[in-house]
Amino acid sequence: MCSRYLRISLVGPLWIVTLLALGGCQREKRQFQSSPVTESGPMQVRTTDLQAGQTTPLQPDARRALYENNAYNLSEGKRLYQWFNCVGCHAHGGGDSGPPLIDSAWRYGGEIEQIYATIQQGRPNGMPAFGGKIPEQQIWQIAGYVRSISGNLSRSASPGRNDEMQTSPPEQLMEKQPPVTSSPAATEGTQK
Amino acid sequence: MPDPQTGFRRVPARIGTRRLLLAATIAIGTCRVGAAEPGNPSDWTMPAHDYASTRYTDLAEINASNVKNLTVQFTFSTGVARGQEGAPLVVGNTMYIVAPYPNDLFALDLTKPGAPLKWSYKPNPKAAAQGVACCDVVNRGAFYYDGAIYYATLDGHVIAVDAQNGRELWNTTLGNINKGETITMAPEVVKGKVLIGNSGGEYGVRGWLTALDAKSGAIQWKAFSTGPDSDVLIGPEFKPFYASDKGGDLGVRTWPPGAWTIGGGTVWGWISYDPDLNLVYYGTGNPGPWNPEQRPGDNKWTGGIFARDPDTGRARWFYQTVPHDLYDYDSINELILLDLELKGQQRKVVVRPERNGYIYIIDRATGEVLSADAYGTVNSTLGVDLNTGKLKYNDEKKPRQGEVVRNICPTAPGAKDWNPSAYSPRTGLLYVPHTNLCMDWQSYATNYIAGTPYVGADVKMYAGPGGNRGVFTAWDLKKRAKAWEVKEDLPVWSGALATGGDLVFYGTLEGWFKAVNARSGALEWQFKTGSGIIGQPVSYRGPDGRQYVAILSGVGGWAGAIVAGGLDKRDPTAAKGMVNATTDLPDKTTKGGMLYVFALSAH
Amino acid sequence: MTPFEHSVLDVAGVQNAYIHTMWTVLLGICALMYVLVLGFLLWALLRARRTPDPVRPAESTGVESALYAWIGLVIVGLFGITITSYAVDRAIFAAGQKSGLALEVTSQQWWWDIKYQNDDPSQSFHTANEIHLPVNVPVTISLRSPDVIHSFWVPNLHGKQDLIPGRDTDIHLRPTRTGVFRGQCAEFCGAQHANMAVYVFVESQQDFDRWRAGQLQAATAPTGSTAAQGRDSFMTSACPLCHTIRGTDAAGVTGPDLTHVASRASLAAGALDYNRGNLAAWIADPQGIKPGNHMPTVGLSPQDLQSIAAYLDGLK
Repeated sequence: MCSRYLRISLVGPLWIVTLLALGGCQREKRQFQSSPVTESGPMQVRTTDLQAGQTTPLQPDARRALYENNAYNLSEGKRLYQWFNCVGCHAHGGGDSGPPLIDSAWRYGGEIEQIYATIQQGRPNGMPAFGGKIPEQQIWQIAGYVRSISGNLSRSASPGRNDEMQTSPPEQLMEKQPPVTSSPAATEGTQK
Repeated sequence: MPDPQTGFRRVPARIGTRRLLLAATIAIGTCRVGAAEPGNPSDWTMPAHDYASTRYTDLAEINASNVKNLTVQFTFSTGVARGQEGAPLVVGNTMYIVAPYPNDLFALDLTKPGAPLKWSYKPNPKAAAQGVACCDVVNRGAFYYDGAIYYATLDGHVIAVDAQNGRELWNTTLGNINKGETITMAPEVVKGKVLIGNSGGEYGVRGWLTALDAKSGAIQWKAFSTGPDSDVLIGPEFKPFYASDKGGDLGVRTWPPGAWTIGGGTVWGWISYDPDLNLVYYGTGNPGPWNPEQRPGDNKWTGGIFARDPDTGRARWFYQTVPHDLYDYDSINELILLDLELKGQQRKVVVRPERNGYIYIIDRATGEVLSADAYGTVNSTLGVDLNTGKLKYNDEKKPRQGEVVRNICPTAPGAKDWNPSAYSPRTGLLYVPHTNLCMDWQSYATNYIAGTPYVGADVKMYAGPGGNRGVFTAWDLKKRAKAWEVKEDLPVWSGALATGGDLVFYGTLEGWFKAVNARSGALEWQFKTGSGIIGQPVSYRGPDGRQYVAILSGVGGWAGAIVAGGLDKRDPTAAKGMVNATTDLPDKTTKGGMLYVFALSAH
Repeated sequence: MTPFEHSVLDVAGVQNAYIHTMWTVLLGICALMYVLVLGFLLWALLRARRTPDPVRPAESTGVESALYAWIGLVIVGLFGITITSYAVDRAIFAAGQKSGLALEVTSQQWWWDIKYQNDDPSQSFHTANEIHLPVNVPVTISLRSPDVIHSFWVPNLHGKQDLIPGRDTDIHLRPTRTGVFRGQCAEFCGAQHANMAVYVFVESQQDFDRWRAGQLQAATAPTGSTAAQGRDSFMTSACPLCHTIRGTDAAGVTGPDLTHVASRASLAAGALDYNRGNLAAWIADPQGIKPGNHMPTVGLSPQDLQSIAAYLDGLK
């Protein structure tokens, strides 16, 4: 008698709570079209820590959440990273003729706005300029993915283990390495 | 001294006093080197030492008994801490060194103590060229000819510099970095023509060999490695030995439509020259992309050896060492011209230690393959069919898009990459510095985007059977077998030097410069330089009459990429898989860029 | 868009003819059984109503034999189905053993890359989303997928065959009449699975040879200044990174081959009929038309958009 009442008194609220909780689940928003027609680049970028005069902090771009915390955009970035031959110079983060992207050392800055600028503008010692070729939204997606290679993004958004040959550790499981703007000891003409 | 037992005959090309003395002591059964060595025999005027590419000096002052007294006489810093692949040149008491990008040329005065800098020439190549250099920003050296030094820069310029005063004589632009084209090879100057080829087989670059006039720098002829016969300079005088190389416009018909325009076949290795037959010999690089399923067909004329007339560039014969290459087995290695006695007959041959793991002996007049024997672990192929000339691929190891094929030997850089071997006429042995690596490979469809890599494969390399990643092999050409070998922990990526003192010199990837006994392989001497060695050792007689040995030390190239590029070992596919095989290298060496010159201490 | 057929029941190929036989036999036998079962049920209900006494045992003289008859009928029916199934399977297999034309179809999300094979590699070529076949010639299509599982299904010609990453499958066809047949991806493969059609044009050998010769040609040179401008705009913007136009420097392979795009009947794997307006619309807003597909919105100026559309429209 007592146990039956207990069951009845628990089951109802349990159902209600479960339904309410599920209602809080939202499928991640996927923005296929940028607005208005195409995306634009970051509002402000600096590629050096040195400022003349009094230092002023840079505001992070308002689109950071969209391109760093969105699993769809990161997985698109991973696809484009291979499609546009980033793998050819940077391998799967370990580097080749281009520097590694998996560590914390960034010659031209490792925040998403700085990575965007590097991809779009190119860099003097060998990074090709992809601006005018890769559309802006796709550059954001690639820049976001590149951030995930060094473990800097949330685990739930970063891509997981490859289906193909296992290369560097899955982005999801990578230990977080906050970026530092740094490069190896400069020797004439060899700093990339 | 010639060895009566090896059955080779050596005939000197130029008669000087020293030469007459040597000639007078020649006994029966000696070996003939296939071509003349220009200039003073105690100089080193071209990276290969002579047109036959023997890399052998008959200087014999340093030998097995006194080499323990070899000490550093002077050093010189190139100022660049990247892979030093060059061969120092010595012409009339001046030493010439080419550094990696930015490709400065230095002339050192050997008559003064410490060999101070006489002059330097700075070409200021485009910095962006570094972005399309697949395998470090290296340069394999210059060539001295008729009072000038000839060399090329990373951004595709070929330059002639006055050897006396360092003034630029001419500067011709041949390469376009926006197509992924660079130049890393040392030119070969033959009969007043500077022969030079391009790099970029990993960038979808269409390969070519160009001849420039040595006096003016004007283009005399240009032979492409793919495309219609008119571009490849194939005409009625072209007489390939095998049926598969015969037919019209094979450089188009053995490709899917249009693929030959981005097909690779770059010419970035070594050229030899036979003045008697009036032919130059060189090889073409890998077809592009690495993913073979994007380019069905034999992919002519990539992955093979050309013999051409140096005056007109017209092709005489071609042999494809890797038809429809599956593994980036470029065919650009050194070609040593020898006259060997094979099966009772004297044959003029080229000897090629090939990337695919076989040592080829090919008749250099006709292109007929006389033998092809494995000198390392090979499972990607099952031998060469000597009747058809075709390489027999192993179906089990064929790359398939979307599948990982494991344990393919040798790896993409091959059983031996560009680093050249040396031949000693005294021992009759070919000294081959090479690697023992195998790989896993997965290919996928890749877009061609000009100025970016056109590869389409993920690779992981690791040590082959035995666990040693490098080998220094002495190969007996008569017996077609190894005479001896020295196992090295790290891949061997330096060139070899053979001397008349019966010593062979080479360097290891962690920086040991070694002299081994040419007959037994015993280590006679070694010296730890400041950084890994991937350069080409040379030897010369200095103004004081002593014999010197020079080597550039500075790790890099493909094998040393993890150090030169500061790469990360957590990604085994970095540096196209080489990082997986060299994760311990940063613990053994850092970057460097130093010239070391040795001689016996003057007691 | 030319009128097309898209039905399993309209047989246009040898393999589908056998499948149709199977289908007919199954339909016949099952229909018969269905009618009989319903008939007996109805009879039982009617009989029950006429006999009011529920106590009397349902003893009928014919029950046992009726039961045996029914079992016999079922066995005959099942055997009939089994034998037909086996024979059809063998027949389809035998029909597939003949060799003729060889194709390789690679399914991508969400379009079809069609490659016409040839022993002479310079006679092979790629096209997209549209297959032309000569009538009565056996065709072997090897099927590959680099990304997820798809399924190739042209109902008028044959059944479904999956394309599985890391695995090679194939399908054999032999069309028996000319016509235009629509095919569809038949294995859910992502957001645009529904918009992944392939059109198969079966034509006479002559027409096929003519089509093939045309496809082998490199891209037509642009006529007129707008089209020439369009080619230059095409080559300098994002397009060559993913698309190939043979005869030019564009050699991307992750998007459909555009060398003869204007000769095709549809765009975007059947999402749009091919005409210049739709082409310009597709380039202007691919994500609006087929949300989630891999063609990005390239921010072209109106002039570039028009000139590129003019250039591509000339690639017949």
